[in-house]
Amino acid sequence: MAKFFAKKRVLAATSALALLSVLSIGVEPAKSADAPVKITVWSFGDVIQRDLVRQYQALHPNVTIEYTKYNLDDVNGTKLITQCSAYKLTKKLGGPDIVAVEVAYSGKWRATPSCFQDLRKMETSDTNVAAGVKAGLSGSDLKADYLPWRWEQGVGYDDSVIGIPTDVGGLEVAYRSDLFKKAGLPFERTAVGKLWPTWDKFIETGKKYVAKLTAAQKKKNFAFIDDAGSIYTAMLNQGTAKYYENDGTDAGKLVYKNNPAIKKAWDTTINAMNSGISSKTAQFTADWPVGMNNGKFAVILSPAWMTEYIKAQAPSTKGKWDIATIPVGGGNQGGTQLTIPAGAVNKQEAYDFMTWYLAPAQQLQMFKKFGLFPSTLASYKDPAVADYKDPFFNNAPVGKIYGEGMLKLKPIFEGTCQRAIDMAFGAGLGRVQAKKQTAAASWTATLAALSKDKCLSSGN
Amino acid sequence: MTAIDDSTKPSESSRQGSKGSRRKPAPSPWRAKKIKSDKNPGGLASLNGKWGYLFTAPFFVMFLIFGLAPIVYSTVIAFFNWDPIGEVEFIGLKNFEDLLADDRFWLALGNTMEIWVLATFPALVGSIGLAAILRNRFLRGATAWRTVLLVPNITSVIAVAIVFGQLFGRDFGMINNVIEALGFPRVDFIEDSFASHVAIATMITWRWMGYNALIFLASMLAIPDELYESASLDGASAWQQFRYVTLPGLRNTITFVLIVGTIGGLQVFAEPLTLGGGLSGGSSRQFSTLTLFLYEQAFASYQWGYAAAVGILITFIVLIVSAINFAITRRLADESTR
Repeated sequence: MAKFFAKKRVLAATSALALLSVLSIGVEPAKSADAPVKITVWSFGDVIQRDLVRQYQALHPNVTIEYTKYNLDDVNGTKLITQCSAYKLTKKLGGPDIVAVEVAYSGKWRATPSCFQDLRKMETSDTNVAAGVKAGLSGSDLKADYLPWRWEQGVGYDDSVIGIPTDVGGLEVAYRSDLFKKAGLPFERTAVGKLWPTWDKFIETGKKYVAKLTAAQKKKNFAFIDDAGSIYTAMLNQGTAKYYENDGTDAGKLVYKNNPAIKKAWDTTINAMNSGISSKTAQFTADWPVGMNNGKFAVILSPAWMTEYIKAQAPSTKGKWDIATIPVGGGNQGGTQLTIPAGAVNKQEAYDFMTWYLAPAQQLQMFKKFGLFPSTLASYKDPAVADYKDPFFNNAPVGKIYGEGMLKLKPIFEGTCQRAIDMAFGAGLGRVQAKKQTAAASWTATLAALSKDKCLSSGN
Repeated sequence: MTAIDDSTKPSESSRQGSKGSRRKPAPSPWRAKKIKSDKNPGGLASLNGKWGYLFTAPFFVMFLIFGLAPIVYSTVIAFFNWDPIGEVEFIGLKNFEDLLADDRFWLALGNTMEIWVLATFPALVGSIGLAAILRNRFLRGATAWRTVLLVPNITSVIAVAIVFGQLFGRDFGMINNVIEALGFPRVDFIEDSFASHVAIATMITWRWMGYNALIFLASMLAIPDELYESASLDGASAWQQFRYVTLPGLRNTITFVLIVGTIGGLQVFAEPLTLGGGLSGGSSRQFSTLTLFLYEQAFASYQWGYAAAVGILITFIVLIVSAINFAITRRLADESTR
């Protein structure tokens, strides 16, 4: 029912927006310091937390934050493209003041910085001085506060700053210590981490685990890891280049055909699939939460935000899960930047809200309340993060494990068609897992499909 | 007695007739209107004139903005290499040429047609059957049943997808548990091409069968009872009555339901998207439909011109399939009345 109403509200909001742009009410009233302001935010998932919005509105009674959650592909694909092209066509201000952009789409948006306000040209006003945000801070001044590789995800290819990072995904291994023990494997988290210094060792461990499963379990696809496909993404994110190489141009150079890191990640993933360690349960499908509960798989490559999802979906497995370090060390999955579209009306108010919302103090609050890892460097020295232990994960020092992994990462050069290329390789691996094609045939088919893809052939 | 009655009737009618002939003939309503409007250009009759335009204007304004304008716009951009936030370049028919040579397009077309057939024809038979059951005058709680039939149609597609996702799950889904209990191997309703089409067609059928049944019911109730009475007097069985009275009476409705179903069915989008294979419709594009392909091209590959070309081809395909439908249903209905 709640979903129904939420949908209705979205509908009302969008239709109101459409009407507004149709009637072109672009009159900008003169603003006084305390004139009521409404900041409109397009977000998805849990990027904007109601609790903190309430705090900000209490600090600034004249400000209303109106945030709407959309589907990620809708808000970062359809809606943002339409919004930007409408602005470029008409040059009329309107639409959202803040848009949350996920890293899967940042390759596209960093290549088109003209859709966003360059935050280097913004300065914080004195409105949040009492709340700890200094006045006169530009986007460039904020850079030093954030994890360097995470900050880069919000920098346009012309060096303009288009977004400020929210939380960090990170990536470590969530595992069922009870099932490891049952399979005769080491189950204490440091020992488990030592089982897999490399991805090949990770697969070896998986084979040992699967060997102990009963035939009845195997028939129901019980295995070691939920979906071997996640190994591919994890390995790629541990490097510095994926499908594009930074050659100094805005667009970058396409290297997906000959980047050895891609072939290596592909081969390792295929190896994992062929060795039978994958339960072939795609994440966020109906079978996935069932598997978390009934032990269909013992391992998930889990970003920090996913630990909250596991807790919510499998509450009865409390204490059976634990966290170990990921093979090779360091990993990331997901991450979001808050941006101000070039066509926003209340840019100054939006910037003031963003800089407060993403300041270390507020990120620390979000970590404590919702388990989201801060993107601000200072937070990792705070005992609340560094010493954090999670009882659901058998009191694992979650803060320390994820924190150390995040400091190891380096920025990755993305590119306009990253999403399309990612999907093509993902589908290629899926075909091998479903035994529709051999690995070699699927690799050839993937490259052939990409060479025909119009996103790539049109010079991106 | 009857003879007397008969003898009186003609005289009566002739009397009435003679009365009538003395009067001026009653003016036809059309003439009356014309005379009235000649005399009095204001008033209600003038609604057919300029005021009529005003009252129908809201629809046409909305249609112009949200209907015609996008159609014209997408027709134009189909001839361009159109990056919505970048450069625009006129390339003539190249998008269409590329599209006809693109095997992803033909695959999507094949998938769409297969899903359409699977979703349309069993559901057509089913909904006529449901309507025949609901028509039974001894049915208790008829209104309640009719209301229940409409519930799937007003349920959000996303909610439907979540529920069916649970039902069709490969390892723990209920349907697979039944299949396994019957001694058959488990079916992967996402990776297997035909099975995924069945899953999508099931969602569409579940959603639209009740709705169509109500349309058929309304049409059945409009068939005069006398036809059934005389058919049963002639000794027609229930099946023969259905075959030779009900079905011919439904001819126009079947055409209508089929054409509306074709327009919707060839644009199926939400069901394959929510089945869980991403925008490409599964790892080997096994359930990529035409509209899903359009969406993928526009919003994952940012090729608006190419996507618009897909949209234009969808329009033509819908027109062709609807025309074929129309011709076939006409012929079938004509044969059945013979």
